[in-house]
Amino acid sequence: MTEHAKSRFGKVLRLGAAVGSVSLTLAYAAEAGAWSLEEAAAPYKGTTIRTIGESLPPLEAMDKLKHKFEERTGITVVIEQYEHSEAVNKVMLDLNSKRGRYDFILQPHRELGRFVANGHLAPIERFMNDPKLRDPAFKPEEVLYQGLWKEISWYEGKAYGYPFTALTMYLWYRKDLLEDPKEQAGFEAKYGYDMQVPATWGQYRDLAEWFTRPDEGFYGTAIQGKRHEALWYEWLNFLYSFGGDMMEAKSGSECGPIIVNSPEAVESLDYYKGLVAYSPSDTLNYFWDDVMVAMQQGKAFEMIMWNDATYAVEDPSQSTVSGKMGFDLIPQGKGGKVGQVEGWTYLIPAYAKNKEAAYLFIQWMMAFDQQLEQHMNGGASSRPDVYADPDVKKITYSKASMDTNAVAIAKPTIPESPELTEILVLELSNVLAGKKTSQEGLDDAAVAMNKLLGDCAPLKFPVK
Amino acid sequence: MNLSRWGSGILDRGVGPLFLVPALLLLVVLLVGPFLYMVGVSFTDLSFALPGHDGNFVGFENYRRLMREDPVFWQSFGTTLVFVSSVVSVEFGLGFALALLLFHHVQRRRFVLTLLLIPMMLAPVAVGLMWKLMLHGEFGMLTHYLRELGLLGPQTALLGNHDLVLPTVMLVDVWEWTPFVTLVFLAGLLSLPREPFEAAVMDGARPWQVFRDITVPLLRPIIALVLLLRGIDAFKEFDKVFILTGGGPGTATELISIYAWRVNFRNWDLGYGAVCAFMVYLVVLILCAVSYKAIYWTEGRAVK
Repeated sequence: MTEHAKSRFGKVLRLGAAVGSVSLTLAYAAEAGAWSLEEAAAPYKGTTIRTIGESLPPLEAMDKLKHKFEERTGITVVIEQYEHSEAVNKVMLDLNSKRGRYDFILQPHRELGRFVANGHLAPIERFMNDPKLRDPAFKPEEVLYQGLWKEISWYEGKAYGYPFTALTMYLWYRKDLLEDPKEQAGFEAKYGYDMQVPATWGQYRDLAEWFTRPDEGFYGTAIQGKRHEALWYEWLNFLYSFGGDMMEAKSGSECGPIIVNSPEAVESLDYYKGLVAYSPSDTLNYFWDDVMVAMQQGKAFEMIMWNDATYAVEDPSQSTVSGKMGFDLIPQGKGGKVGQVEGWTYLIPAYAKNKEAAYLFIQWMMAFDQQLEQHMNGGASSRPDVYADPDVKKITYSKASMDTNAVAIAKPTIPESPELTEILVLELSNVLAGKKTSQEGLDDAAVAMNKLLGDCAPLKFPVK
Repeated sequence: MNLSRWGSGILDRGVGPLFLVPALLLLVVLLVGPFLYMVGVSFTDLSFALPGHDGNFVGFENYRRLMREDPVFWQSFGTTLVFVSSVVSVEFGLGFALALLLFHHVQRRRFVLTLLLIPMMLAPVAVGLMWKLMLHGEFGMLTHYLRELGLLGPQTALLGNHDLVLPTVMLVDVWEWTPFVTLVFLAGLLSLPREPFEAAVMDGARPWQVFRDITVPLLRPIIALVLLLRGIDAFKEFDKVFILTGGGPGTATELISIYAWRVNFRNWDLGYGAVCAFMVYLVVLILCAVSYKAIYWTEGRAVK
């Protein structure tokens, strides 16, 4: 066969395969019943649904996608984008005034408990079990990371939504420097072992120390030491990895004995504080934006950072280090392989005026195609099949993201959890600022947590 | 009947106060109402975060908690007092000195004044953001020059250092508000009568005596006004500090307004938050009363 004939034969084969798959798809659609988005949305044609969330790539990606939904359904989607705290505060006011401005909301899951306990949310089962609304092709029980879904969108055994983003933190490091033979030789001479991606916290600290060169404006790491929730989130990685936790509880919706001042916790905080020496001079005034800039500007070697910010450090239009980065699970301590997760979740307020239309949009966004597109534009999907897509696999940080998703640890989502956060942020900040030792700070935090939660959270470790 | 006489007749019979009603109504709706509401809330357990805390009456429980169980509140109260007394005295001294300089020695006053007023005309948030950039430990212009001059170590940053952060924040406030003090004093100086000064010079008074015995006493109401306005403003300071440090590191710059914001809008503990806000109000009220007294006391003396 000539080359020409071969390629023609190939075309015919491909065409045949395409026809086959189209007819298969059609057959599947017929079998799945008559459900179609257009039909399901027909009663809500002409309505406008409104939502609110944090102005970051995942939401921007949704904003770009929504027109497809609008064209198919005739439902208009309005998306309000705000800075993190502003998005949380606006929702708090809307829910407490019961005005129902938002038909669905996007919120960090640490807020979930107080929403549920105050009766602000409509459980999502109602819509999931409604054959008119539910797309039979979307099976959240199968297509989502079950652990993440339960952690981010469930409370006391009930589902209230689907994850909008599964936000975890993992290791960012400068691969180019790690592979530089000159650096490798110098490092080995000083520390007596090969320079490598840090697998333990000892190695992490050695690397931080090695690369700290203030005269060149370059630092081993940069920690998020500002008095801001970013500090708490970052430290949780260390706490979990050193084998500690805030409370002994099985799920986020339960309370339990307070162990935030355990020896493991104190050790993790001592270690974390030690990293200040290898960070930029005003690291105690940094939160996630600042450390990201430090990395984008090529001022730091390694850090523990959010997966939804990774997009921006690999984007050559805003980063000087794109293509030079490596990503991995955070180093391991006594706690083994762990990761800290904070998801943003889709929720439907009890006072929303167009709940059904809102559910249809959420369900549509959770479908593979939309998840893939959102993920490719900076999202953090909670669907494993998205991570299996060849295009996603090509993204440098996909593996780190996926590995962390699998080992993410639950954090408290009880109604008091935002106050717990405030307590810890204050004490962590006091420790970093040198006002208290790690033991004193965490003891004080434990006492304050106990005072807030009462009998359900006794102190497990004595306070001096 | 003469129209004007008819009009004044009505006024005499007390219709005049009626015209104040719209303004008073506005005051009641916008100030008195919310204030009373706040006082009401301070006796309840209202919380947007905790279930069951729907605004049940708890008496003085929140006040007791504030007095007895909240060291963080009192710490921020202390920080606020340090902040207010420092910035107001520096702004006062510096502003007064600048005003005297402009009054006595500068010819093209208007041009200089316009320049001086720029910081004051900026929105506080813009001031905060601008200084945050200038003081940034890695990219900040000011940090760079301070390091070049050897005044700041390579591992120290003004906003990241527990001991330097409060003075730094104060400095920003001084930068923003000294021109205001200058402006008010300059207006005061320009409005003073010339005769006492001329008479004093004729009697052979030295410049320092003129300043001490004539300028300062005549300016007393202005001094009281400046102290009052700046005192209240500094006590309520929020925006700049919020943007520059968020109250940290630790509690180094946690002013009372930032603490009240935390309680109200982070923890949504509105009952207790109302008490914190009430304390701010109480202090401002005391400041006002003291300044008022100062003004009347001066006038009383002047009459003698």
